[in-house]
Amino acid sequence: MLSGGQVNEIIVEVEHVPLGVQSRPSSSQIIPEKTPVNSNFILVSSISDSDVTHSQIFSNRNDQKGKQLLRFATPSKESFSQTLHNSENTGLGTLHTSHENIQGQKLIESLIPMTSRDRIKAIRNQPRTMEEKRNLRKMVDREKSKQSRRILELNCCAQCLNSISLAYRRFKNNLSELLDSISLWQKTLKVIGGKFGTSVLSYFNFLRWLLKFNIFSFIVTFSFIIIPQLTVTQENHLQFTGLEFLTGAGYFTNTVMYYGFYTNSTIRHGNSGASYNMQLAYIFTIGGCLVVCFFSLLFSMARYFRNNFINPHIYSRGIAKLIFCWDFTVTHESAVKLKQKNLSTEVRENLSEIRQENVKLTFNQRFIRFSAHVAAWVVSSGVAIACCAAVYYLAENNLQFLANHSNPGAVLLLPFVVSCINLVVPRFYSMFRLVERYEMPRHEVYTLLIRNIFLKISIIGILCYYWLNIVALNSEECWETLIGQEIYRLLLMDFLFSLADSLLGEFLRRIIGMRLIKSLGLQEFDIARNVLELIYAQTLVWIGTFFCPLLPFIQMITLFIMFYVKNISLMMNFQPPSKAWRASQMMTFFIFLLFFPSFTGVLCTLAITIWRLKPSADCGPFRGLHFFIESIYSWIDTLNKRPSYLWVVWIYQNLIGSVHFFFILTLIVLIITYLYWQITEGRKIMIRLLHEQIINEGKDKMFLIDKLIKLQGMEKKANPTLFTLERRDLEPWGPLHVRQHDAARDLRFRRSFQEDNPKA
Amino acid sequence: MGNKQAVFTHEQLEAYQDCTFFTRKEIMRLFYRYQDLAPQLVPLDYTSCPDVKVPYELIGSMPELKDNPFRQRIAQVFSEDGDGHMTLDNFLDMFSVMSEMAPRDLKAYYAFKIYDFNNDDYICAWDLEQTVTKLTRGELSAEEVSLICEKVLDEADGDHDGRLSLEDFQNMILRAPDFLSTFHIRI
Repeated sequence: MLSGGQVNEIIVEVEHVPLGVQSRPSSSQIIPEKTPVNSNFILVSSISDSDVTHSQIFSNRNDQKGKQLLRFATPSKESFSQTLHNSENTGLGTLHTSHENIQGQKLIESLIPMTSRDRIKAIRNQPRTMEEKRNLRKMVDREKSKQSRRILELNCCAQCLNSISLAYRRFKNNLSELLDSISLWQKTLKVIGGKFGTSVLSYFNFLRWLLKFNIFSFIVTFSFIIIPQLTVTQENHLQFTGLEFLTGAGYFTNTVMYYGFYTNSTIRHGNSGASYNMQLAYIFTIGGCLVVCFFSLLFSMARYFRNNFINPHIYSRGIAKLIFCWDFTVTHESAVKLKQKNLSTEVRENLSEIRQENVKLTFNQRFIRFSAHVAAWVVSSGVAIACCAAVYYLAENNLQFLANHSNPGAVLLLPFVVSCINLVVPRFYSMFRLVERYEMPRHEVYTLLIRNIFLKISIIGILCYYWLNIVALNSEECWETLIGQEIYRLLLMDFLFSLADSLLGEFLRRIIGMRLIKSLGLQEFDIARNVLELIYAQTLVWIGTFFCPLLPFIQMITLFIMFYVKNISLMMNFQPPSKAWRASQMMTFFIFLLFFPSFTGVLCTLAITIWRLKPSADCGPFRGLHFFIESIYSWIDTLNKRPSYLWVVWIYQNLIGSVHFFFILTLIVLIITYLYWQITEGRKIMIRLLHEQIINEGKDKMFLIDKLIKLQGMEKKANPTLFTLERRDLEPWGPLHVRQHDAARDLRFRRSFQEDNPKA
Repeated sequence: MGNKQAVFTHEQLEAYQDCTFFTRKEIMRLFYRYQDLAPQLVPLDYTSCPDVKVPYELIGSMPELKDNPFRQRIAQVFSEDGDGHMTLDNFLDMFSVMSEMAPRDLKAYYAFKIYDFNNDDYICAWDLEQTVTKLTRGELSAEEVSLICEKVLDEADGDHDGRLSLEDFQNMILRAPDFLSTFHIRI
């Protein structure tokens, strides 16, 4: 790494990180020089020129090669036009100002060939002052117009594209402005974040995000299946009693709310001949909703993974994270004070953990812990299975029970029991914390989450099994409507229980905590439990949309009300969280949960419904068919007869219906996945090696500085006069090694001066 | 969204839009927030680019900043001369970087500058002590504070030179995905 003869020269080209120093020019501190870094020192993976200084950060996100030069190059203190007058702050005079100028030129050159969108993105991401960015933008525009003037005649097509992209950008800006103005609850979220911080805010953001799904589903189903059906409504002869809101049955059975109401005919209005095939509309609308939700989830998940995935090898206990990740969103005075207190407590705990982390447990202690874990898992799984069995037994006997009790409210028993289970058992699981001890607190959080998820998913699974295997096959009436009603009841009961819990339960808890048992204090918002409830409700909505197209609308209203209720309850009954909650990681996990098993479970259920079940014979858009999917088959058949749509048939037969195509596709996807996996493994190894290299270079640096100091000492003894002048430059400042750095830098002047001297 | 406002010229607004993460409406909203801080000082007509600085005391009294332990450092970092008095450009810059659209690297860069109290482009032990003191508000003893600083340097200092460079800081931020959402001031 070092060649012997150049030792002195290389030593002092120490990497100064020349950040844009927006400090006072009159500062008496030594402002570090903007020295170029010898690229031999720089790590192998950086894609740098030798001139551009520091920060390989952009190289990590290597999405466009234009970005290579747009790392955080030295933001000059003054604007580019003034770099030449920047003599008082650089040690080596004009050499460095022209160096900055070169960097500036490079930056401009790299910006010119980019598309305007990328250019704007790059300019925005520059860590420079506004004035510098403005000048940069002006210069780039000027250069670009100079260049484009030359090729003006040749490329009117490029000009056309330019104006189109400009118009598109303006449109996008206007659209985002519009969306921002109708963005819900901005002020409320600001207040919540100000008092409770980012972690609690993440729950409300998640709620808002789910609301968007439901709004979209509602708009689609409303436009494509509800409105057409409303134009051909039949008379509703049933009586309306108020109980329908709870049971969903009765009057509502014959409304657009349920599958059974929809016609299977082709709607025709007037003689214009425009026909609307309800069967196809129904299946395509629901399918389209699900496909859009699928891709939306997939992209959200990918985005979260990309931003928040941590290499588990480099995970640390993170006291540095506690210090540097102060929550800037907290703005309330009392919240800030509380947060400071909590931070101190946490930091103290972290320190004591670090002191204790070398304590090894005896075999006895480990055995006790292990058996406690096993027992807890056995008990929790047992409870979950018992609950599922109870639900199944109750569901099976539901019909008999209903026959015996003529009260129409009796149908609410099953949803009531399910909601009770969802209320009580998670709290029971939380009590395991008293018995189990974990090494790391996040293990505790994950274990609790997994148990709750297992409970909820198995309950939904059991219910789906019951619905699809028993209700669908044995029922004489409209079984789809029955299932829709059951799901509606489940959702409604869940909503009522949540309301009661928020309004009454949390209020009571506050009274108990503040008045009766003062030691308990206020409770903290349990983000995990609340998010899981949201996921549970959303899963039910997705399953139920096929049987009850109005369900997204109901869920929309529910979420809307829940937001305000939770907000009010939060402000009244809760205190800010005391421990750091890794909001981003948790959100990634929750969105992953929403995708799998929640959404994939929904897809499986609906797939079984559509491919395997027989629609009921006298209600709904698919009456009379053997399978739901037959509607698609018959449509393809009709298309076959029309010559202009043969391409659709071809796509269907060869891409969707063909096994070979999926086989090849799967093979390609597997190969690509394997390749990416190998690349990732290689990069992990590279990261480790580079990390070691950094450490080694640090050690080298310290070693060489020590050597330099020794040499300096020796030379001082040899030539005392030469060094008296420079001593004035050395300001006593800070810790010793900084002084050594100054000494090193000053030494370079002396060495080069000395080297020139003999020559002179 | 017509150009009915008379505060900025069309070019100025476009430039602001291109140089920050804000839309036109948000820029106008921010301008009025800025103007509200010092109505006598800030003119309602910026077409002539007046050189107006709102003093730090007014900036620090904004509800978004008034209780932030680092408000002074934030104002210093983003101000022109490092003294905390901010022009409109600085103001917009500050909230643009602290908005949720700014990328992680930009935020990490400015966070590094905020935590670098002595502006020497390294976070040394003294900087860390200042940071920890501001964060814990005197709850911890001096010994605990120095222990914490030591631990932080142990964890984050990659090249073991006793202080954190920008790379060390950014490397550490990579392991803290929450940073993006916590280094965020909503306005």
